[in-house]
Amino acid sequence: MTITKLKLNLGPQHPSTHGVLRLILELDGEKILSCEPDVGYLHRGMEKMAEQMTYIQYLPTVDRIDYLAGCFYSELLCRIVEQALEVELSDKVRVIRVMLLELNRIASHLLWTGSFLMDLGATSPFFYTFREREMILRYFEKLTGQRMMYNYFVFGGVRKDIDCLDDVQEIIDILPEKIDDYEKIITDNPIFLKRTEGKGILDKETALNYAITGVNLRASGVDLDFRNIDYLYKGFDFRTIVLEEKDSWARYKARIMEMRESCNIIHQALEYLKMTPALEQRLINPLNLKLPAGDYFAQIEAPRGLAGCFVCSDGSDKPYRLKWRTGSYYSVNLLRKLLVGEYLNDAIAIAGSLDFILPEVDK
Amino acid sequence: MNWHEFQRIFNDCELDGDKIVIKSKLHEVIRFVTQNYTYRILEEIIAIDKGNGETELIYHLYSFEDEEDLFISIIVKDKAESIVDIFESAIADENEIYDLFGIQFTGNENLKRLYMPQDWQGFPLRKDYVQDDTRLAWNDDNEA
Repeated sequence: MTITKLKLNLGPQHPSTHGVLRLILELDGEKILSCEPDVGYLHRGMEKMAEQMTYIQYLPTVDRIDYLAGCFYSELLCRIVEQALEVELSDKVRVIRVMLLELNRIASHLLWTGSFLMDLGATSPFFYTFREREMILRYFEKLTGQRMMYNYFVFGGVRKDIDCLDDVQEIIDILPEKIDDYEKIITDNPIFLKRTEGKGILDKETALNYAITGVNLRASGVDLDFRNIDYLYKGFDFRTIVLEEKDSWARYKARIMEMRESCNIIHQALEYLKMTPALEQRLINPLNLKLPAGDYFAQIEAPRGLAGCFVCSDGSDKPYRLKWRTGSYYSVNLLRKLLVGEYLNDAIAIAGSLDFILPEVDK
Repeated sequence: MNWHEFQRIFNDCELDGDKIVIKSKLHEVIRFVTQNYTYRILEEIIAIDKGNGETELIYHLYSFEDEEDLFISIIVKDKAESIVDIFESAIADENEIYDLFGIQFTGNENLKRLYMPQDWQGFPLRKDYVQDDTRLAWNDDNEA
């Protein structure tokens, strides 16, 4: 019997590619023989741009690298500058940043939960998760004036003191109940289980070999959370979510559990912020800001895996070279391996479970 | 990692801050550190154009058992050894560096233009790249 191979072009315009991703699949019947991701439809040259801008000019643009979790990238750039100029953050600034990062993480995971279920064909969870995400975005809008591109972290601190803490309290009071509701309709749903359980199994060795980090790695049984060694999170008590199932379902469950853990971190941050006096901070003067010559490196646990920033400075007011490390880029690269041997109708479900976002891939 | 042991085996290397600078045998060094120490993730490969046609490649490895970063740096001209047989994630990094810096990786079959169009001339992150591509000047006076 001869095998007739079919080449199928998936994307770049497909609702479940979360941006513009093109997958070139080779099929035997409905079985995938090989997968070649083609990226670059959203390339904006973030790294080239950095070489032509001063640090303060570049800061507002970095939220766009991952528009669903912009805080993490501004935090990285601020951290590079603070590290180079040896500025230490006060405890209050640290706690404010942690609280906003975690709120941003929850917003990002909520969007993922909704859109993942939409990929699988269930439309209603999308509306439920967006309802709760809206509360978080409203809070950000009140605080920073922006719903997605906050530009709230500045070199040496935050743009203004935190306020409207009651709104945050309301969010974390409501959210755990709402997550229970999601779990009631999703986690043990037989259709959902059939689409995710045992699908897209990512074992530990493959995950490490493909440089997968973040929730995807922890759902494969590796205990690696960069928040544990992050100076920002010092003094916070939280648990690292590690699951052993290794499949799409585990990646879903890990994100749900992580949202609860983030609520816990926000709760601790709120307790602290309610008691401390008004913010006093000494910001770094962004005008004529020059970093001493040398290499600087910072990393943080972002919702889509480890995010890192590397800056090589030659002593001038612009970076000589700036490089971003994003989790999504490696998740997309993993599709080469993960989709082989699976069926075409599972391809979307498996790709969706990895939670990549294309602006982060293309930079 | 044990720097003295490393230096005894690969004597053509030096320590610059927290990165190890090697002159050659990239593939051998990466294989050595993955087999003898606990560096199991290649987080990224960073390329920097140093001018004079020289590019610095920095291999950033991480060991989560020891919570330790390792930077291995090498200066290359326009060719480098590929390490895709050690870390599969290097497919992505090497392809990106090929696209933006024009470095050829011997042993990696998958190199192609990634972000830039297939027929694009030049490599944008090189310092000698000239940003006056005529195809970008849509709104210029050549409308007529």
